[in-house]
Amino acid sequence: MDIEELEIRDFIGAQRPFDQLPAEALVATVEAITVRYVRRETEIPETEQGEPALSLVRNGAVELRAETGELLARLGEGDLLGYRASAHELAKNHHYVALEDTLLYRMPASVVDRLCDEHSQIAWFLAPAGAGRLRDAVRHHDEASDSPLNLTDTRLGDLLGREPIHLPPAASIRRAAEVMSAEKVSSMLVVEEDVLFGVLTDRDLRLRVIAAGLDYDSPLSDVMTMAPVTASVDTNAYDALLMMARHRIHHLPVVDGHHVAGVVTASDFIERHTTSSVYLAADIHRQDTVETLAEVAGRLPLLVQNLAAAGASAERTQRIVTGIADALAIRLLELAELKFGAPPVDYAWVVAGSQARGEFTIASDQDNALILDDAYDDARDGDYFEALARFVCDGLAACGQAHCPGEVMATNPEWREPLANWQARFAHWIDNPDPTALMHGCTFFDLRHVYGDAALSATLRSSLLERTRGNTIFLSHLTGNALTRQPPLGFFRNFVLSGGRDETGVLDLKLAGVVPIVELARVYALAGGIDEVNTRERLKAAGTTDELSESGARDLGDALTFLSDTRFRHQARQLESGIEPDSLVAPDSLSRFERGHLKDAFAIVRTMQRSLAQRFGR
Amino acid sequence: MGSFVCRRLFSLEQQRLWWLKRVPAGPLRDYYQVPFTKPATPSVSTDYLALDIETTGLVPQRDELLSIGFVPISGHGLRLGGARHYLVRPERDIPESSAVVHGILDDRAREGLPLADALPPLLKALAGRVLVAHSARIEHDFLDIACRRLYGYPFVAPLVDTLELEQRKIVRSGSPIAPGALRLDALRQQYGLPRYRAHDALSDAIGAGELLLAQIAYRTSNRPLRLDDLTRRY
Repeated sequence: MDIEELEIRDFIGAQRPFDQLPAEALVATVEAITVRYVRRETEIPETEQGEPALSLVRNGAVELRAETGELLARLGEGDLLGYRASAHELAKNHHYVALEDTLLYRMPASVVDRLCDEHSQIAWFLAPAGAGRLRDAVRHHDEASDSPLNLTDTRLGDLLGREPIHLPPAASIRRAAEVMSAEKVSSMLVVEEDVLFGVLTDRDLRLRVIAAGLDYDSPLSDVMTMAPVTASVDTNAYDALLMMARHRIHHLPVVDGHHVAGVVTASDFIERHTTSSVYLAADIHRQDTVETLAEVAGRLPLLVQNLAAAGASAERTQRIVTGIADALAIRLLELAELKFGAPPVDYAWVVAGSQARGEFTIASDQDNALILDDAYDDARDGDYFEALARFVCDGLAACGQAHCPGEVMATNPEWREPLANWQARFAHWIDNPDPTALMHGCTFFDLRHVYGDAALSATLRSSLLERTRGNTIFLSHLTGNALTRQPPLGFFRNFVLSGGRDETGVLDLKLAGVVPIVELARVYALAGGIDEVNTRERLKAAGTTDELSESGARDLGDALTFLSDTRFRHQARQLESGIEPDSLVAPDSLSRFERGHLKDAFAIVRTMQRSLAQRFGR
Repeated sequence: MGSFVCRRLFSLEQQRLWWLKRVPAGPLRDYYQVPFTKPATPSVSTDYLALDIETTGLVPQRDELLSIGFVPISGHGLRLGGARHYLVRPERDIPESSAVVHGILDDRAREGLPLADALPPLLKALAGRVLVAHSARIEHDFLDIACRRLYGYPFVAPLVDTLELEQRKIVRSGSPIAPGALRLDALRQQYGLPRYRAHDALSDAIGAGELLLAQIAYRTSNRPLRLDDLTRRY
């Protein structure tokens, strides 16, 4: 017995990643340790026995500073520093200085490397790159997710089985019934020269043929559903389900470009989903009053809690919550049109901000706007759209989406304008990027069509992208704006350590982590003329362009996943305790594991911010 | 040669050579084979051995060793790989009064090694190293008695006493010494060192070694610290 009973062994064995070591390996590790005392305000020696050293802080405090004196990190008891502790902090001219009298447990590089070779858990944690470490953490978390929830990851194309059964429009109803019986299908497509004319279902045969006493030799074109709703093979299964719920259809033709690829039916999804979210969406489309809609929407917090309990990632949950928010808006608009009559001119209901990006949470406020056809006449049509906007926005508020405090809502006449005015306004923001313009711009640059005439939204978006792509003056302003919020350096004891400013006792996961990534992705997208709005999609798309390296895109995506998941778990806990969900976490409520990975995520964001600043900075 | 006269008139190294010629073959002679570190050696190049012992009492002539713990220090760093802890089996029962202090009861002590087996590894580890202890006189005297009993010759070693170092510092500054202020735990706290729960010989040896590192870090001198700035003066 020597080291086995030592308190030092217990301390080291309780720290990440050494807590992963088997007992004998832990003893061997402790035997390789040199204990060193560093007086306050003196530098930590870099080497141990002539090699770079990894140090574990036993007690005291250490600061990492750049050559310029800029504070990069502050480390306390249990933190690691030096060799392989964090790739993002390792630079030749950086140095560690003891802030307090500090006792360090140190290991030379050769020992660290050997540990990593022999124990993958250690290598995993002390990987050369913080980004890789984060990726593993993200992957491990995602593995815990429930497979039935993967509808948002499933392309419709992957659900298609057999080649679609189809007949030309001139074929007889009798022929269609024979083919459907022979093929044992409940629906068929009406196709000629690869163009989809319509759909024929069992139900059509019952209601439109038999009940109506129609001649069985009539052509299919007399009874088919014409110009059916279709979805692309790239649509995710969850969105497709929402679409079917909204249109109250059970068969959805799937197209690949112009080619008809097949049909999906509600039953295709049944094996793949167990969540009640689709039923919730279907229920939404069945409600006829705001009161009953609000009742149905009231089930959303419980749904989110269930998703969290089932291990769903934040991304999936956000897609689901966004889908529900869209469904509510669509149903309210349908009800508004029933109440106030058909619209006098075409319009598009668009959402902005997080809902547009597919990143809506149950704590999010509503951001929406109306794009009106240029035929709009204020004197003639003004009252109609004001009433419609009021009805929908109040309805959304009744359903739990708070009114936007910044008045970014269709009820605000500023955000209820004909297309030409919108285009002029976007042009003005882009050409005169003052702070107000950027503030509004950043909300509306993330724009997604939800209801109405999609051409209006698409026209506005494409004129926006044409104007921003490669526009260096605008992009440099947008970059400046995106860099105003820097993530913290990490944690020091129970404080959030932010460069320059004072330490604070709470971490705002949204402002400190998620928002900076969203803003980076927006710059990449606008710079590259990328039409995506979702942050992850933007990063993925930007990774294939000159705007961003592929590894940069992946790192930022991982950072976003980790930050969002941490926030999501926090909010789920709050929901469970009946607290209004927010993004504020106390550092002492985070595990050391979470802290370490958050620090890695922050480091990635800071790195990408620096490189963006070099590219577009002024 | 009486040890008092010896300490006064001869350097430690001369004493080592003196005993080397006289001690018969065995662990003590092996120990004396290795030259002592020269007093002018820079401290950072000096090899130390931080040591703590637990005993049945404070009188070396009467009381017995119960455990030995030590850890080497090189280049101003504690090398945990060299840390050792030995329980020693006393020849007589452990007085209740001492068991209260160190928590070693008869049962456990009986598992220990006979002194004749525990002493050689310590002497081997000490060869060429400077002995560091908190209140080093006790360690020295117990080892001296043990060597005389087992090998018939005295134990001589360069000593650094962390308690004495602190005492000197306070005396130099002219401030009074508060009661209890020189205890190992109190000093460790003063230097911002962690508090260890355990008080076995190895923990206290590490405790004393870390205290020495802290004291060295806080030496304010323009020239590099030398071993003889630290060694015990009699």
